[in-house]
Amino acid sequence: MIRQRWMVCSAVMLLACITASSARADGSLAQVAQQVNPKLVKVFGSGGFRGLASYGTGLIVSPDGYILTVVSPLLDTRDLRVHLSDGRRYHCKMICMEPELDIALVKIDTKEKLDDLPYFDISALAKKQPVDAGTGVLAFSNQFQIATRDEPMSVQRGRVAAYAKLQARRGIFAAAYKGNVYVVDAITNNPGAGGGALTTRSGELIGIIGKELQNEATNTWINYAIPISAAVEVIEAENKKRMVSIAEVVEKKEKYAPSRKDELKTKEENYHGIVLVPDVVEFTPPYVEEVRPGSPAEKAGLLPDDLIVYIDGEQIPNIKAFKEIMGTIRPGTKIALEVRRGDKLQTLSLTVAEPRKKPR
Amino acid sequence: MTSPTRTPFAWPGLLAGLCLGLLLAPTVQAQGLDKRLREAEEKRIAVIEKVKPSVVAVLNAQGNNGGSGVVIDENGYALTNFHVVAATGPVMKCGLADGKLYDGVVVGIDKVGDVALIKLLPKKPGNKFAFSRMGDSDKVKAGDWSLAMGNPFLLATDFTPTVTFGLISGVHRYQYPEGALLEYTDCIQIDTSINPGNSGGPLFNMDGEVIGINGRGSFEKRSRINSGVGYAISINQIKNFMGHLRAGLDVDHASLGARIESEDEDGSLNKMVVRALLECDAARRGLDNGDQLVSFANRPMGSVNEFKNVLGLFPRGWRVPLVYRRDNSSKAEILVRLMGVQRQVVEDDKNPQPQPGPRPRPGPQVPSNSPAAKLYEPKAGFANFHFNKLERDRLLAAFRKQGDFSAFKGEWDWKGSGEAQEQKTIFEVNVRDEKTADGKGTQPVVRLSIRGLDYKLEPLQSKLPPGDLKAPAKSGGFITAMYHYRQLLVMGEKGFEGDFSHGGYEPMYMPTPAGQKPDYTKQRIMTEVLRTRHAGTSVKWFFSQADGTLVGFEVTVDRDEDPCEVYLSDYKAIEGGQKLPHRIQVHHGNENYCDLKVEAWKLAK
Repeated sequence: MIRQRWMVCSAVMLLACITASSARADGSLAQVAQQVNPKLVKVFGSGGFRGLASYGTGLIVSPDGYILTVVSPLLDTRDLRVHLSDGRRYHCKMICMEPELDIALVKIDTKEKLDDLPYFDISALAKKQPVDAGTGVLAFSNQFQIATRDEPMSVQRGRVAAYAKLQARRGIFAAAYKGNVYVVDAITNNPGAGGGALTTRSGELIGIIGKELQNEATNTWINYAIPISAAVEVIEAENKKRMVSIAEVVEKKEKYAPSRKDELKTKEENYHGIVLVPDVVEFTPPYVEEVRPGSPAEKAGLLPDDLIVYIDGEQIPNIKAFKEIMGTIRPGTKIALEVRRGDKLQTLSLTVAEPRKKPR
Repeated sequence: MTSPTRTPFAWPGLLAGLCLGLLLAPTVQAQGLDKRLREAEEKRIAVIEKVKPSVVAVLNAQGNNGGSGVVIDENGYALTNFHVVAATGPVMKCGLADGKLYDGVVVGIDKVGDVALIKLLPKKPGNKFAFSRMGDSDKVKAGDWSLAMGNPFLLATDFTPTVTFGLISGVHRYQYPEGALLEYTDCIQIDTSINPGNSGGPLFNMDGEVIGINGRGSFEKRSRINSGVGYAISINQIKNFMGHLRAGLDVDHASLGARIESEDEDGSLNKMVVRALLECDAARRGLDNGDQLVSFANRPMGSVNEFKNVLGLFPRGWRVPLVYRRDNSSKAEILVRLMGVQRQVVEDDKNPQPQPGPRPRPGPQVPSNSPAAKLYEPKAGFANFHFNKLERDRLLAAFRKQGDFSAFKGEWDWKGSGEAQEQKTIFEVNVRDEKTADGKGTQPVVRLSIRGLDYKLEPLQSKLPPGDLKAPAKSGGFITAMYHYRQLLVMGEKGFEGDFSHGGYEPMYMPTPAGQKPDYTKQRIMTEVLRTRHAGTSVKWFFSQADGTLVGFEVTVDRDEDPCEVYLSDYKAIEGGQKLPHRIQVHHGNENYCDLKVEAWKLAK
């Protein structure tokens, strides 16, 4: 569903928005901030290198400590921790991820009895209509890791500039989520802001702040949030269609079955003719095992035992990243491969070909 | 490992990448607007109009390369960032919203806190400046609205300030220093847009009170322009340093003398623990490694950031209350004298050592043709000694009103009774000049009799046994203190060859009566400090801010030991009309030494 109402935003509607926000007395935003803050957590995990933040933000979505956040390398650790608004610190375990929505659910892992955390009622909020462009919003996050323990989240103000499809990338990685987002006129998507809350000016949650992404067309940084009502259609095995939604992930928790995006990807993978070593551990380095004869890889001069270090300047730390990046490159694109051969770095140029039909 | 950079917003000089956009907005008819909205808007416009004349564009002598500032009193004193005046040099040009360019001069600097006080020169002597009042930044809450004003990108050639409007994103924020300087503690985080050139400009609350000085932002992938995350130095922090800044000091921040770490346990709130305690005042007051820091300067301690926030609020040398707990036993409250952060230059008056580390870059030259150059006097330890002399002389003039003793150069004798070391005693102090042993001249001799013991000190003797100055035992140097007291009253500036300068503002705490629990909030008196050095001994004199009375002084005989603290009260006029204290209390280390009632002052001319 594409909503176009934001485009025909009339003076009358603008007026309505402004009036609504001015109806509250001065200082009430401070109260709203105090009400929203306890429902957010600071997330700490892996990262801290090459522009990847080791910190982020999460939303408490149940009184017993389920936490909704965005998918990021930050979560790729056994030592995932959250700090609650009152300063308590807990370890967390991964419950599930939904790649098409780019969200993850984690849970506080403690022997303590937890059943009275303040939380966002995602099921109820997801049923509401998306807000219109022009709506005043507040953004809450732990951007730049300004806060730890009991220090409150940063709060920013802005307006919904548009409700539209996300077309974004980070370097050459296309954004995973391609549904509608709230585009915000404030600079909300800073390092660590992902997983934060976008609320109305009265503190009602409407979106989960996304990652740091760039506009596909202009390369400018986008400030956006995934609506809580977000639902996207995924095609699963045997061309079965299914709707996935944030509410479903939060409701089903451990029982949620993620769409298997990676598997779909490999089927459509563009042809390059590079066969890597078996992907056995979490961080298997992308060593070339074999180069298919006559393939683009052979034409590029790639050799077995080369280690792929960069693709178009983007570091490739593991096989997973290699697969991900190759899945996003259009056929016919010329990419620069930087490989380590022996103890020297070599730059090769490879033109990606159309996907080949897999032999059954 | 990369971390977000936090760069101060000094305008680098060149106007680069400046985009000008033309905005076409639908004009909404005023009568159609909601009344409350219109009122809020009108109020906002009125506030902006009111504060606009106080906003300063700070430029170097050539009229470029600068930042912003705000005038805070009618005499033209204005606040800005240290990193702004570091670029302009001590003599600068200041543009106001009236479109005129004024001469300005640095008064005081706080390098660690990134604050500078400057003074604008009126076009005609006696002309008053429009100024903005300082608010209470502890009342600011995340979610409040704010206005930032200044001269971003040096846009306005007529110095009309740019105004931006936005939210307070967080309060009591901590932002790490760059090296040892430019540490933003307890600062205000804003989404109000600030950009290069906004540095040093005011952050206003919606009543038009200055609540902070805008200085830096968080930047990472996006360039060094507004990222939605800016920081302002809280005005309440600056207020603590204001006396030092007005006194032309190069003021230092404080350290506790210990590292505070979080126990970092999962679950419950953080425990803050004392580690790596140095030999310092906190240790002498009873703090030990492993103690839990419960509160510091009356703020509960829950994180390392919180501790650093509070520490950053105070100048070196201030005393603040600290509560700690040991082994889960009951809490103890102590008063801690804070150490410095930077190396000291002032007190080693004989051979100032060059500071290690990066040498200070030679600042921009002082233009000799500026009238402000006449108000600039460089001196080690000071940003501008000219202003120290002004403050010091003002302080002394107020003190002299209580009594002029300059004619009483003869023998002084004062006596009475009281308690010393928990024993009843009578006491007598006598100071007079006596012939030296070789009979060629005279020298002062101090005699003290207390608890039935007689002490004698010849303070100008070059080879004094180390114990003499500290006599009586456990007083820290009561006899020396009495000598310096008379010296100040009789000789004034001429009596102190080593140092005689204003030391800023500082709280002083009257001693806790024996057997009572301290209540430091009640015992606290805000004072102006005079620092003196004479005959190898440093003294800090505390004058009540309320009425200029000398309420106490601290005599430091040995810098590695506790000073002798003397508290003066019960002021009464003596025969000639001059007021003198009739109660003298002495405290040293953790003990009260004596509490004496003066029954007779005898002063000879």
